[in-house]
Amino acid sequence: MLKLATGRLLAAVPLMFLVATIVFVLVQANPVDPAEVLLGQDASEEAINATRARLGVDRPFVTQYADWLSSAVRGDLGTSWFSGEAVTSDVARRVPVTLSLVFGSLLVSLALGVSLGVAAAVRAGRKVDRFVSVLASAGLAAPNFWVALLLAYLFSVRYGWFPAVGYTGPTDDLFGWVRHMTLPCLALGTSAAASIFRQTRSSMIGVLQQDYIRTSLAKGMPRRIVILQHALRNAAIPIVTLAGFQVSTLFGGAIFVEQVFNMPGLGSMGVDAVIRNNVPVVLAFVMVTALVAVLVNVLLDLLYAWLNPKVRPA
Amino acid sequence: MRTPLLEIDDLSVTFRGRRLLPWRRRSEVRAVQHASLEVDVGETLGLVGESGSGKSTIGRALLRLVEPDGGRIRLGEVEVTSLPRSKVREYRRSVQVVFQDPVASLNPSMLVGQIIGEPLYLNLGLDGAARRARVAELLAQVGLDPTHATRYPYEFSGGQRQRIAIARALASEPGLIVLDEPVSALDVSTQSQVINLLEELQAATGIAYLMIAHDLAVVRHVCQRIVVMYRSRIMEDGPADRVCEAPAHPYTELLLASIPDPDPVVQREKRRRRRDLTAIASANPSSEGCPFAGRCPHTMDICRAEFPDYTEVPGGGRVACHLVGSSGGRAEPSGESVDVAR
Amino acid sequence: MTSPSTALVPSVDPAGDDGGTRETVATSAHVGGGRAWRRFRRNRVALFAALVLSVVVLAGLFAPLLTSFDPNLGRRLGDGLRPPGGEYWLGTDHVGRDIYTRLLYGSRYAILSGAQAVVIALAIGLPLGLTMGYFRGWVDRVMMRLVEAVVAIPAIVLALAIVAATGPGLTRAMTAIGIVYSMVIARLARAQVLAAREELYVDAARTVGSSHKRVMWRHILPNVAPALIVQTTLLFATAVLAEAGLSLLGVGARSDQASWGRMLADARISLNQALWPAIPPGLAVFVTVLSFNTLGDGLRDTFSREARGGRLGVDSVRPSSRPVDAGPADPAAVLSARGLWVEFPWPDGSGDDLAVVQDVSFDIAPGEVLALVGESGSGKSVAALSLVGLVPDPGRATAASVNLAGRELVGLDFEALRRLRGREVGYIFQEPSAALNPAFTIGRQIAEPLREHLGMGRKEARTRALELLARVGIPSPADRIDDYPHQFSGGMAQRVVIAMALACEPTLLVADEPTTALDVTVQGQVLDLIGDLSSDLGLSVLLITHDLGVVADLADRAAVMYAGQIVETGEVATMFANPRHPYTEGLLQAIPRNERRSGALATIPGTVPPPYAWPAGCHFHGRCAYAEPACLAQPIPLVNSGVPARCRRVDELVLGGVRRSDGTTGERM
Repeated sequence: MLKLATGRLLAAVPLMFLVATIVFVLVQANPVDPAEVLLGQDASEEAINATRARLGVDRPFVTQYADWLSSAVRGDLGTSWFSGEAVTSDVARRVPVTLSLVFGSLLVSLALGVSLGVAAAVRAGRKVDRFVSVLASAGLAAPNFWVALLLAYLFSVRYGWFPAVGYTGPTDDLFGWVRHMTLPCLALGTSAAASIFRQTRSSMIGVLQQDYIRTSLAKGMPRRIVILQHALRNAAIPIVTLAGFQVSTLFGGAIFVEQVFNMPGLGSMGVDAVIRNNVPVVLAFVMVTALVAVLVNVLLDLLYAWLNPKVRPA
Repeated sequence: MRTPLLEIDDLSVTFRGRRLLPWRRRSEVRAVQHASLEVDVGETLGLVGESGSGKSTIGRALLRLVEPDGGRIRLGEVEVTSLPRSKVREYRRSVQVVFQDPVASLNPSMLVGQIIGEPLYLNLGLDGAARRARVAELLAQVGLDPTHATRYPYEFSGGQRQRIAIARALASEPGLIVLDEPVSALDVSTQSQVINLLEELQAATGIAYLMIAHDLAVVRHVCQRIVVMYRSRIMEDGPADRVCEAPAHPYTELLLASIPDPDPVVQREKRRRRRDLTAIASANPSSEGCPFAGRCPHTMDICRAEFPDYTEVPGGGRVACHLVGSSGGRAEPSGESVDVAR
Repeated sequence: MTSPSTALVPSVDPAGDDGGTRETVATSAHVGGGRAWRRFRRNRVALFAALVLSVVVLAGLFAPLLTSFDPNLGRRLGDGLRPPGGEYWLGTDHVGRDIYTRLLYGSRYAILSGAQAVVIALAIGLPLGLTMGYFRGWVDRVMMRLVEAVVAIPAIVLALAIVAATGPGLTRAMTAIGIVYSMVIARLARAQVLAAREELYVDAARTVGSSHKRVMWRHILPNVAPALIVQTTLLFATAVLAEAGLSLLGVGARSDQASWGRMLADARISLNQALWPAIPPGLAVFVTVLSFNTLGDGLRDTFSREARGGRLGVDSVRPSSRPVDAGPADPAAVLSARGLWVEFPWPDGSGDDLAVVQDVSFDIAPGEVLALVGESGSGKSVAALSLVGLVPDPGRATAASVNLAGRELVGLDFEALRRLRGREVGYIFQEPSAALNPAFTIGRQIAEPLREHLGMGRKEARTRALELLARVGIPSPADRIDDYPHQFSGGMAQRVVIAMALACEPTLLVADEPTTALDVTVQGQVLDLIGDLSSDLGLSVLLITHDLGVVADLADRAAVMYAGQIVETGEVATMFANPRHPYTEGLLQAIPRNERRSGALATIPGTVPPPYAWPAGCHFHGRCAYAEPACLAQPIPLVNSGVPARCRRVDELVLGGVRRSDGTTGERM
C-alpha cells in the first residue's frame, strides 16, 4: 500500500508541472499592461517602465516562468501586484476557510447521498425511489449560489439563526465555526449530494444484479449484511471515483458560496485577482486549488485500491 | 499432390502488456509457439483445444487481426504475413470469419440487410437492387426469410443470428472461412441445425473451413483432419477418425476421456478411465518444456526440460511427445509419481 | 495502472451507465420491440421537459412581442423594488427595471451562451476523443496527460483563469467554459471508442474489409452516439448554470446585458431590503437546468434499457390454488415440489402475467442425484431457484407444496426461508468467478455461513473453512485461504464455491450448470468431486444442466423440461435407452458423439417457443415428428397410461434412445 502511495504521489509531480505550465502560459496571454493599470494612463514613460521593472514583467517569458516556478516550489508565491502583500501568507490564511467549506460539504453530500442512494436502489422503481430521484434531480438543477442566497436570506437576514457572513476558525471557537459553516455547507453540498445519490443508486442497482449477490442470498445471509456489506463494498468503487471528481467541482462551487456569504477563502481571493488581472495571485489561486484537488485524488486512489483488490500490486 | 489452400508454417504469436515505465520490461504471454498446419481446398480442418490453448489466436492471425512475431502464413497465392498494410483489405476478401458470440458479432445498430450487404458493397462492388437481390439470396441460402433483411439483430434468436453471421461470411465469396467456436453458445437442437447448414454450404460452394472448437465430438463429425493444441503448442494432428479412436498424445486421451457421453453405460466406463488420467498440476511448467508436463500421468524429467520433436504417427499425422521416441513405439514412463485428484 | 479518475464518467453525468445487463426470461422477448423514437415518446416526463425547454426558447425568441418594457432601463424613477402586481407582473429590481421583461430577454442569453459553450466543447472534444480512442499509441498517451492536467484544475477555476487571460465578457466566459468542457467530452468519447473497439462486431467489420474510416463512421459512431447525445444535453444544462454563476461573479455578462446571472448579481445587492428579485432568475435557471437534465435522463433511458430490479431478487413461494398434475408427495423425499408456477408481469404493463414455469412437480430421494434437464428457455434454472425463494425479480412463484425434509416452504416469509438457505440447501452456480464476491477473501466468504447459521466464532470458522478447502481438493489450503477470487482459475473457483455451499452440511445441494463455464478437462474433475461428496455425505443433489453427457455421468434420475413444463421423468439408464417423449428422443439423437460419421446430424426442426407463444395444448407441437392435430386441443397431463411422459401418444410410439453404433457400446473408450 505504501508503495502505491509513493507511486501515486510521484506521478502527481509531473502532472502539477504540466498544470503549472498551462496556467502560466494562459495567464500571461493577457495583453493588458499591469503598470498602466496601476499608474493610470497619464503616467510618464519612465514611471511605467520603472513599475514594469519592479513587477518583473519586462523580462523574457521563459525567465519569468523559471523564476516563478523555482520560487513556488520553495513556497514563495510572489507578491500581489496591487497590495504588495506576500501571496503565500494570504493563501495560508485563506486555505483553511475553503478547505472547511469543501470538506464540510463533501461530508454532508456523502452522508446524504450514499444513504438515500442505497435506500432508493433497494426499492428501485417504487414510489419512494421515484420521489427521492425527483428530489435529487431538483437538487442537481438548483444553482448552489441561488440556494446560498435563499438560505442566507431566510436563515440569517430573516431569522438570524445563523451568521450571514464571515468565518471563525475551529481552533478559535469550535461552536462558532460550526455555526458559520452550516449554511454554506448545506448550499454547496446539495448538488454534490444529488450527484452522489444518483451514482450510488446506479452502482447499487448494477451490483445488486450481480451473481455474487445471488450467492449471498443463497447462503442465507440477512438482508442488511447483503446490502450494506456485500453490495455496498463493491458499489463504493465508482462512488469513490465520483467523490474525487466532486472535490474538484466543490472547489469551483466554493467560489460562489464564498462570495454570497462573504467568506475570506481562496475563491474570493481568486475572483478579485481575475477581475483585476493580478497575475501572481491568479497563478497562486489556480495552483493551490489544483494541488489540493490532486492530493485529495491521490488519497481517493488509495481508498479505491483498498476497496478493489484486483488493483492492488500483487 | 495438390498444393494446400492454406499453409501455416512455424507461426508464433506473443502478446505484450503495456509498458508502464520506460525501463521496465513489458509482460509477455506466448499465445502460439511454432505452430504449423495445412488446409486443402474444400476441406475442413478442426483446431481443438481448451481455453488458453492458442487456437483462437491462430484464427485471428490468419485474419490479420493480430500480428504474428514469427513464421509465415500462405493463403492461396498470398503471403499473408509479409503483406503490406495497403494490401490487407484486398486480402480480406479471401478469408472470412464466423465468431462464437452471435450477440456481440453483429452490430446492434445495423439492419440485417446492411450487415450482409456491407461485404457485397466493399468487396464485390454491388449496390442498389443488385445488392438487395444478392442479400435475399444469401438469406435464403442460410435458411432465413428474405424479409428478415429489414430487421435488427436483437429480434432474432441465437441460432438465427449465427445464420446471419454465416451469410455475411459467404457474401465475399471467400476461399476459406474461419469458424471460431461457431456452435458453442447454442443449444443442442440448434447446434445440429447450424452444423448441418455449414456442411451443406461446403458441399455447394467448395469453401474450406478452419473450425476452431473445444468439443471433439462435434469436430470429429464435421472435420476430415484434427489438430490438437494445448497452451500455445500443437500436441498432435492427424485424420479425425484416427485422432479420436487411437490418440497418440496423453492430452488428447484426456480430452477424449473428459467428454461426457450420453450413454450411461459407456459413461460409467469413461469415468473410471478419466480418473486414472487426471492429475492436478503441482508446479507451473517451464516455458521451455512441454506445457502438459506435470499434468500428464507419464511425466518424465525430459518433459520439463525440452519440448519434444514431432514424430509421425502410424495411421496419419504427427505427435509431439517424449513417450513416442523416434523408433515409433511408446517408451516406458519413468514412474514419476503424480498427484491424482480425488 | 490507470488512475481511476481517467476511467471516469465525467462529473456532469454522475449516474453513469452502470445498469446491469441481466434480463428476466420474459422481458428479453418483448422489450426492444420498438424503435428509439417510439420508446422516447412513451416517456412522458421527458416529453414534458422538452416542452418546457421549447417554451424557454420561444420566450427568448419572441421577447419583444411579449413585453413592451426595456430590459435595461427603468420606466420611472422611484419604481425600484416594487413587488409583483399592477403593470410590473413580476415586480421590479432595485433600479426599477421590470423583472418579467428581464427574465424573457435573459432566456436568450441562457440559450445562446449554453449553445456557444456546447458547440465549442463538441468541436474540440469530439474529434480529439475519437482520435485518441481509436488510434491509441503514443498520441493517446501524450494527449491523455494533457487532458488529465486540464481536468485536475476545477472547472470554474480554469474558466476564471482563461477569463483572466482574455478579459471579462460573456462570450469569452462561455468560450472558456466550452474549452474546459471539451476535455470532458474528449474523455467520454475516448472511453466510448475504446470500449467499442473491443467489440466483436468491429473485428467482424474489419474482416469484411472495412477501412478505418468506415469502421469509425458506420460501426463505432452509431453505437457511441447515444452516450454522447445524453452527455451533450447535460452539458447544456451545466453551461447555463455556469453562465449564471460567472455573471454573478461579475466576469460574465456586463451590467447592460440582462442575463439571469446578472439579475442574480443585482438581486444580491438589494438582498437586505427585498428577497423577491432573487427568486425569478434563480427559478428560471433552476427550471431550465432541470428540464435539460430530465431530457438527458429520458434520452439515456431510451437508448439503454433501464436496469430492471436492483431490488434483491427474493420473494417467498406463495400458496397456489391451481390444480396439481402429479401424484402425492413422497414422504421420504428430501425435496418434494408440487405444482410450482413462476410468472412474470407482461412487460408492457398490461397487468397480465406470463408463466415461465408451468406446474412443475418432482421428488428427490435422500442421497439421490436428480437432473433437471433442458435447453435455454425451458425454465429449469428459474424453477430450481424459485423453490427456496430466489425468484428473479419481478417474478412471482406459487406452488401447492414445496416440502424440504418434512418442512413446508410454501408461505414462509423471507426470514424463515433465509435461515434454510445455506443451512439446509446449498447452491452452486454456473460462473464460479462471478459467483464469488470480488472484494472479500475466500476464507471470509466460506466462514460467513458458518458464523451466521451455526454461530461459530472466528477461529473455529476459519479452521472449518480450511478443512472444507482440503475436502474439495484445493492444494495448500492454508496458503490460499486469504486469497481473493480473482486469483483462482475457473476450476479452482468452482471448488471454492462448492466448499462454501457445503459449509453447513446441508441435506440438499442445488447445482445450476456447475460445469458449463469450465474447460472440459476440468469439468470431469468437478463432476467427480460432486459425485464423491454426494455418496460420502449422503447428499441429495438437484443438478440443472443442458448437457445430457453430464446427466449420464452424474445423475440417477432425470426430469426433462421443455418450454416451462416437465415432459418426462425417470431413471437415467432406462430413459436414455428408451425415452417415452419425442423431445427426449430428439435431444438424445441430436447430440454429436465420438463415433464415425454417418450422414448429417439428426436435428429437431424449429426453435423453442417463447413464453408468450406457448400453445394451450402440447408445447412441443410444431417441432414434433409425431404430432397430430389432437395434440393441440387441450393441455396434456404429465402422466399418460401410467408412464411419466407428457405425450398423449405414449402408448403408440416406439422411440429411439441413445444410439449405439454397430450394436456395440458405441466407442472404444
